[in-house]
Amino acid sequence: MSDTTIERVKTGIPGLDELIEGGFPRGDTILVAGKAGTGKSILATQFIYKGATDYNEAGVLVTLEEPPHLIKRNMIRFGMDLEKLEKEKKISIVDLSPSKEVAPVTIGEYPSFDLSGLEAIILNHVKKLNAKRVVLDTLSILAYKFKSRDILREEFFKLAASITRTGCTLLLTSEIPAHEQGFGVFDIEAFLASGVIVLYNEKISDTSRSRSIEVLKLRGSKHSSRIHSMRITDEGIRVWPGEISPGR
Amino acid sequence: MSDKKTRKASIEEDDSETIEVVFFKSDSCAFCPRAEEVIRETIENFGSDVFTLKVINVSENPEAAEEYGIFALPTVMIGGVSVTGIPEPDLLMKMVLGAKVLTKKKDESE
Repeated sequence: MSDTTIERVKTGIPGLDELIEGGFPRGDTILVAGKAGTGKSILATQFIYKGATDYNEAGVLVTLEEPPHLIKRNMIRFGMDLEKLEKEKKISIVDLSPSKEVAPVTIGEYPSFDLSGLEAIILNHVKKLNAKRVVLDTLSILAYKFKSRDILREEFFKLAASITRTGCTLLLTSEIPAHEQGFGVFDIEAFLASGVIVLYNEKISDTSRSRSIEVLKLRGSKHSSRIHSMRITDEGIRVWPGEISPGR
Repeated sequence: MSDKKTRKASIEEDDSETIEVVFFKSDSCAFCPRAEEVIRETIENFGSDVFTLKVINVSENPEAAEEYGIFALPTVMIGGVSVTGIPEPDLLMKMVLGAKVLTKKKDESE
């Protein structure tokens, strides 16, 4: 392979690869941003699931928000059996959701901490599975969990770097708060990533909404600059590369 | 020999009344050594027989941190509550006293 060729990681989202020269650049950090209910978690989980089933790439799904049993229940609707993949050691679901019973209640925080614990937890799973894909869903929850934003910003850079250094492609989700511009609660999410994908679910009339997807940036790639139609089908998320969204 | 046995028994008895302080650290965490110092000093003020200090190095044992959902370091956990960052001794004292009250209540209800 020549130096100018970037190895691509198939996204597992039908139609999306066509918009981004065949897939995400391997080893990059990709941000999937969108308001609540736009399909960020489904897209991210599908990336992990399809990686394991279609491309023989093990994946680590780190959930900071939704408990694993709900993720599994939601994905089985699309015929994606995460439990089975977990048993076959093709994926790991790392439960760091607030619903954990043994988790202590945080009563204090001093601006003298780092996220080396999170790094160790994730790298442990990456190593065990020889994973090639990592998802962190969702970055935004940390902004509510910790007050020290400056530390979090710096720590995210370090965390993303140490995960991608292993050769993994890292996908982060970030929730854009309602009525706000930007790509998340830290304002730096877009800088953190070499690729930014934005999902929309816009109201197009009094009675309907339209889902769409935009590849806002993807370093080292010629990507579509249009906003394309996207649907959540019985088989998960699907993008229509030839269809420009009517909603935007 | 019998002395040893008696001693062992008394330690076991103490254990049921001691408060467990769990300290999570990592090899790369710059703030962890200072946090550990503060915790050890505070605990010593109470008398070492009141506590058991359990130090978990997350770099060596990431599973333990995952089990408790602890990923910011240093974090100290006492009786179901935790503090992240280098803790102030005052807050540690409050956590300890809180844990002592809880232990006492538990003992009374048993």
